Amino acid sequence: MSLRISDVTKRFGPLTALDKVSLEIGRGEFVCFLGPSGCGKTTLLRVIAGLEEADSGRVDLDGRDLIDLPAQARNFGVVFQSYSLFPNMSAARNIAYGLECRRRPKAEIAARVDEMLDLVGLRDHANKLPAQLSGGQQQRIALARALAPDPQMLLLDEPLSALDAKVREDLRLEIRALQQRLGITTIMVTHDQEEALTMADRIVVMRAGRIEQVGSGRDLYERPASRFVAEFIGRLNVLPLNGAAPNLTLPLPAGAGRPGAVGIRPEAVRLHAEGTQGANHVPVQVAQVVFLGNLTQLVLDAGPDWPPFVAETQGAGARAAAPGAALVAELPAEALQVLEWR
Amino acid sequence: MAVIAEDRAPRARLRANRHAPVLIGTLLVGVPLVVFVLWPLAAILLRSFATPEGLGLDNYLSVMGTPRFRRILWNSLDVTLVSTVIAVGAAYVFAYGVQRSLMPGKALYRFLVLVPLFAPSLVQAQGLVLLFGRNGLINRSFGTSIDIYGYWGIVLAMVLYVLPYAFLILSTALAVADQRLYESARMLGAGPWRIFRTITLPATRYGLAAAIFVCFTLVITDFGNPMVIGANYNVLATEIYNQVIGQANFERGTVIGMVLLVPAAIAAIWEKYLSRRQYALISDQSKPLEIRRHPVRDWAFSAFCGFVCLAILAVVAVVVYASFVHLWPYRMTFSLRHYRFDVQNGIQPLWNSIYISLMAAAVGVVVVTAASYVIEKLKSPATRWLYFLSILPAAVPGMVLGLGYVLAFNNPANPIYMIYGTLLIIALANVYYYHAQGFLIASTSLKQVSGSFDEASASLGGSRMQTLWKVTLPLIAPTLVGVAVFFFMRSMVTLSAVIFLITPQTQVAAVSVLLLEDRGATNQAAAFSVCIMATVLGVLLVVRGALWALGWKDVRLIR
Repeated sequence: MSLRISDVTKRFGPLTALDKVSLEIGRGEFVCFLGPSGCGKTTLLRVIAGLEEADSGRVDLDGRDLIDLPAQARNFGVVFQSYSLFPNMSAARNIAYGLECRRRPKAEIAARVDEMLDLVGLRDHANKLPAQLSGGQQQRIALARALAPDPQMLLLDEPLSALDAKVREDLRLEIRALQQRLGITTIMVTHDQEEALTMADRIVVMRAGRIEQVGSGRDLYERPASRFVAEFIGRLNVLPLNGAAPNLTLPLPAGAGRPGAVGIRPEAVRLHAEGTQGANHVPVQVAQVVFLGNLTQLVLDAGPDWPPFVAETQGAGARAAAPGAALVAELPAEALQVLEWR
Repeated sequence: MAVIAEDRAPRARLRANRHAPVLIGTLLVGVPLVVFVLWPLAAILLRSFATPEGLGLDNYLSVMGTPRFRRILWNSLDVTLVSTVIAVGAAYVFAYGVQRSLMPGKALYRFLVLVPLFAPSLVQAQGLVLLFGRNGLINRSFGTSIDIYGYWGIVLAMVLYVLPYAFLILSTALAVADQRLYESARMLGAGPWRIFRTITLPATRYGLAAAIFVCFTLVITDFGNPMVIGANYNVLATEIYNQVIGQANFERGTVIGMVLLVPAAIAAIWEKYLSRRQYALISDQSKPLEIRRHPVRDWAFSAFCGFVCLAILAVVAVVVYASFVHLWPYRMTFSLRHYRFDVQNGIQPLWNSIYISLMAAAVGVVVVTAASYVIEKLKSPATRWLYFLSILPAAVPGMVLGLGYVLAFNNPANPIYMIYGTLLIIALANVYYYHAQGFLIASTSLKQVSGSFDEASASLGGSRMQTLWKVTLPLIAPTLVGVAVFFFMRSMVTLSAVIFLITPQTQVAAVSVLLLEDRGATNQAAAFSVCIMATVLGVLLVVRGALWALGWKDVRLIR
């Protein structure tokens, strides 16, 4: 059970939603399509689901071309952002729908519906209409409905973005646990990097109809292939290196040009007392202190040539820092990523 | 080679399978629209150019060259503009009172203003004649000599006739409003008049324009009211009738029909254009308006709306009254003798009307639902043409469409001739005359339930047909009941689309009213009007009761 997407292109009028996208997804994998709105991630999911027809390229499932298979015949379970539960049917009848369309025997349907209701823990809500369920419950029923016909693959289109923060966090773990228990190949579209990081085996970062980088969350965070990925996954300070900007030493390969801008993660910035000397040590002033519970964010001002940048720390020293305090920020050479060349 | 051939064949078949429903649906919807809308219009267009020497402009030149025609054209525009301005103005105030005040009697007024929709479209003129005519209640009781026949009679009748239509549109436009805008304006120190001018009026401008165009079309194409109360004041609609029925001059009739088509079409096109823009004004975050108590304002609106309802009611009430007196105005004693219907055909026209309206309701629901389904869900290059044909009837005056049916189908060589002269052709004329409105109601509802439900169903393995039967139709069923009621009501009361299609055997009740009134049989005409109103009201009550028993609330029945 492997899905291969090769050179898929899709245009909507003048807009190219997908530009020769190629990707392979293996059996039992949980893959997230991550990117800002308009990057093509939902279009790609819809092409895979058969809800949208690609202009060119192929989608193969275990070597079989899907292009002429309509959505009805693909046997993929889809969960939509807006739940899309049929409002005129009870939770149980929603779950039964896919099986009814396949004309399965009544007894089999009833048994499967019970099984699914148990799976998502909503046995008591079988006869409620969607309008009588909470958002989280509706999304669980939508998940049960998608899984009931025993699909080859599960496709989730921003399934959590309409939910409250707390419910969202619970459901993330729940969906991930369910996916691992069933071993079902799953693709989820999201614009929320935290969601992608907590749930996916592999993340596909997309931008403007192209795949920017594919890798595990750790890969993307530690070895971003581009400034876009670096800025999109986690938080990144971008510091220009022109004019009178503070001098930084970088471990550059021989023959490399002159860097124009570097990036550094907030947690990589080290803070020292005023007057500390050393390589890549920059005197700064604390502009703002943001207490976030387990850590503290300091917004630092290093003069007119850099934009204010952020340091994150759990150290006791930072807790004492007050706006206006003078400190020295160390930007370790190994933590700096070159984002632009001059 | 063999491998490729094997690979290609199922692909081609799959594609054909996907295109087949689109083709079949397009034909099922498109062919009847061409036959029952486009063909009659083509027939009337062709006939208007037909001269003994082949096609030419002779008919147009001979009609338009006369001073009589220019006077009639001017009369029509005069009456139409004045009636439209008065009706829309009054309807705006009325709708404002209903939606934006806490006036006493609101629920009652909201119902009473719609009463003209239940009555044959000439009941206003009928009632005004009974009130203010030579033998009217007022002139006889007070010895006055008010002359209602002519210009002002037509204007008054038209205002009362189209007011509910304008009210329905404006009431919808005024129903939605964003509380946050009003709060911001008040915080910034704006007074009520400034708030109205800068917020309310701009927010309802499309509704206002739509109401103006709808009323304009209704007035300029109505002929029942001017027939009854117009006396020597001729308008385009009555002139078509005079030419076709009075003088059997089809050529002249068609030319005037074409002339009538132009302003009606312009108004309809503008209305459709503007109604698309109405919706973008309210966003998801809008807060519904809170209306505060304001005794002076509330009582002022109550007084105005009460006055309007009184006028509407007086006209209807006097018709009911006249139907129960022995001989208006000479023997005003109670009598049921007019309900014996000992006139030609007896009560048959009422039954005809009921049969026709039931057929129109049943056929109409199927036709407009199929049209909206095919147009919304089975997209193809033909979609825009189907859409155009679907809303085209909104631009066509009923008399023009009816005349087109006569010219197109009253010919033994035509396959439709089989049903010519039957109740069915009249029902079909009503279905296609009201096609645009029915179609728009159905397709709005379909759009609301479409998209994501379709995709959910498809991804679960549901075929098009399974999606339609299990999901789409159950979800739009309440609206479809409303569509059926719409076709029933309009078919019961309409005059213009059917006037040229009736035969002595297939006469309908609304036409009976006109013919009896014309013959001076005032009381019997009134009795027929009362029967029509009672039927429509009775059906509304039955349907409402059935919906209530089914647990379907909030179904809009009156449109």
